[in-house]
Amino acid sequence: MSDLSIVTPDSVAQLSDREIRRSIRRRWVTRTSILLGWGAFIGIWYILSDIVFRDPRLPSLHLVLQRAGRIIATPGFGSDLGNSVLRLLGGFLLALVISSVLGLLIAYSDWWRNLLQGFLQLIVSIPTIGYAVLALVLFGISPIGPVLTTMLVSIPYITLNVAQGIAGVDRRLIVMSEAFGRTRKQIARDVLLPSSLLSLLSGARLAFAVAWRMELLSEIFASSQGVGFQIRSSFERYDTQAMLAWTVIFVALMLIFEHLVLRQIDRWASHWRSAEPSATR
Amino acid sequence: MTDFSSLPHLPDSLTDTAARSVQKTQTAKPGGLFSRPWFLRLLAIAIIIIVWQLVALTNIRVPNIAEVIRFLIIEISEGTHGGTFKGLFWSPIGNSFMRYAIGMAIGVPIGFALGILIGTSTYARGLLNDTTLVLLALPSVVWAFLSTLWFGLTSEGPILAVVLTAAPFVAVSVSAGVRNIDRSLIEMCASYRVPLLRRTQHLILGGTLPSAITGTRLAFMAGWNSLIIVEWFGATSGVGWRARTLYNFQDYPGFTTWILLFILLIMILDRFLLRPVERRAFRWNEPPMLTFAETDDDSNASTNNSGKRLRKRQD
Amino acid sequence: MATVLIENLTKVFPPTANQPNQVQALGGLNLSITGNVLVAVLGPSGCGKTTLLNIVAGVEQPTSGSVRSVQDGVPAHISYVFQEPRLLPWRTVVNNMIFVQDRKSDRSRREAEFYLSMVGLGDVADLYPSQLSGGMQQRVNIARAFLVNPDILLMDEPFSHLDALTGRSLRDYLQKIWSQTRKTALLVTHDVNEAVELADRIIMMRPGGVIFDDIPVNLPRPRHPSNPDLQFLQNDILRRFDSMEAAVRFGVG
Repeated sequence: MSDLSIVTPDSVAQLSDREIRRSIRRRWVTRTSILLGWGAFIGIWYILSDIVFRDPRLPSLHLVLQRAGRIIATPGFGSDLGNSVLRLLGGFLLALVISSVLGLLIAYSDWWRNLLQGFLQLIVSIPTIGYAVLALVLFGISPIGPVLTTMLVSIPYITLNVAQGIAGVDRRLIVMSEAFGRTRKQIARDVLLPSSLLSLLSGARLAFAVAWRMELLSEIFASSQGVGFQIRSSFERYDTQAMLAWTVIFVALMLIFEHLVLRQIDRWASHWRSAEPSATR
Repeated sequence: MTDFSSLPHLPDSLTDTAARSVQKTQTAKPGGLFSRPWFLRLLAIAIIIIVWQLVALTNIRVPNIAEVIRFLIIEISEGTHGGTFKGLFWSPIGNSFMRYAIGMAIGVPIGFALGILIGTSTYARGLLNDTTLVLLALPSVVWAFLSTLWFGLTSEGPILAVVLTAAPFVAVSVSAGVRNIDRSLIEMCASYRVPLLRRTQHLILGGTLPSAITGTRLAFMAGWNSLIIVEWFGATSGVGWRARTLYNFQDYPGFTTWILLFILLIMILDRFLLRPVERRAFRWNEPPMLTFAETDDDSNASTNNSGKRLRKRQD
Repeated sequence: MATVLIENLTKVFPPTANQPNQVQALGGLNLSITGNVLVAVLGPSGCGKTTLLNIVAGVEQPTSGSVRSVQDGVPAHISYVFQEPRLLPWRTVVNNMIFVQDRKSDRSRREAEFYLSMVGLGDVADLYPSQLSGGMQQRVNIARAFLVNPDILLMDEPFSHLDALTGRSLRDYLQKIWSQTRKTALLVTHDVNEAVELADRIIMMRPGGVIFDDIPVNLPRPRHPSNPDLQFLQNDILRRFDSMEAAVRFGVG
């Protein structure tokens, strides 16, 4: 009743008819070109592997996929994958805990912000191979290296987001809560936490993309087991097929986690945000 | 200027009003020595060096700072480390930078062209977008291994790896930049009949430039990363090769020196070339999502903010 | 019975970086409000209305002077209708209401729903604020202020962010809910329409934070904006503002 919008059935029909036709066409164009794009990608691969080079250093796509299937079927696969995933998660969870504390410090204190800023700047400006080889010097062949490097590269992204989440909380909501006599504990739990949790999650997603690449690289340099180690040993045997197969398995797994699992968590946590304004009244 | 400086301070109570926060910044501004940004930066460097020295005391593989400096001096002067083991400095760095420059010179324009294509045409977007994203998703070490396998111990391998790593980064950010160009500006150009050439120059290129530069900066970091990896595993010259050789000789001071060198080289490039360019490109715009740049003027900024808040309060 | 007693109230903002001179927001204000009345403070933007409200709420400290708000000899319980809805976006409407309640019991939800239904929002209790229109969110804001059963209700231009038609229908809701509860209320506004429609008494302020006029409004409720008496009063108020401005301009006032 209060919000008037003048929409007559006529104008809807006129508008949507043209719009629908155009959007259907556009969707078809997009779909065919996506299919064509993948077709071209696979086609070029086959042309290069089976016609131009005919070299085991560039195996056909189906051979790589078959090899991946065989690798997954081997009994040792679980332990290699498990090792990598455990280290990744270990480093990542450590980073979450540490970053939450650092984010709080940065959001609440200028002193800590100025001090930590230098460290965080340094961490992001060192290339990942720097960490991988430093871990090699410090810990030799050991699981500590991958865990610590993964943790280190994740920290700046999560910290920054936590700090922004806490400091970016709508101050007017805090004033409102205090005007209605809410206690500090209630404000922390019901205002600060929900608002910073969301940016923590988006920071975590950003960090994860960097973290799994770091974990893989650390394993390539300083590990005697795990997916990274397998990729490296395939490379050293000049076994391109196995190398690509391991890569496909791990990258697919990580992308699925990044784009399906983490995004789903994100969506669940922000369910109140995505809601469409209701058309009633 | 940066994310950190834009963080507002939390009110500690309802009474933290405009007037109060002005007082707060005014008293905080002179501050003690211990809260000056330059002091904290020095403190951070000191902490890192002290921790390093402590680790060096306990871990035999980790050299201390004196050993690293001694090694570096011999390398730079190309003297001898003892016996026939000669110092090398300019040739590995020169080789690496040559490959890096060629790789970036090929990769960045390719990425830029791809990005404009993906951003402007629906067909190109469908055709190329997924492929670019997959290439971007591959860790650079995979490119490094592949180019080593394909080209052996030549210079083409590292260059190819740099191209393949850098191009998708640029392509993705440029296409995002093109798609983010304000539609109303495009319509404005259309309604004023701005000529196509000028439209491209000012609207497409101008609007895309900041995100292109951010993408290029990331591409520079990733490209360097994969160059070092290729050189580590499959080259007979360059910074990565030198570090690898010293590692194989178990020469830990030498190895550490070169690790620090290749970290320092990219940091110098980033700080003195890429970041100033980026800052210029962003002067009219919001700063990029993740820069950890200097903030000497943040106290000024917050004073201004509270000034604004104060004015607002009165009406 | 609630009373607000304001004596010699001044507020001066110190100079800042982009405001080299100090600014006087309130210049020695005297005001007393007693009983179940709705008082409107009317004035142009920048005349210190919001500062006055903030000081009464205890959000800001005065430079000099005093404000006392009491209910039967004890400090009054104050609640606030903000200019913007200020709802927690991650809580549903009814949970936003429950959030401001002191004692949580099985009655809290029913009370919250009761006040929601008073502003015509009984059936959206379980939606999130982002699912409501701006006008509906503002109605929740109003209902929330009444829910805590305050002695004194402060309202800071609650309709200024809404379009004219939505604002008009919300004023009807406010009239209805206020007539049923009759809380001592202080409404800050720059809208003459709004003041004459809602208030029992209109206090007119000019820039510098000075009261230059104070008139009672003795019109029966509910008032409808098309009522000729309201139109007449509105014109009268506008004339008073004009003559005040003329007086200030020629240095008389």
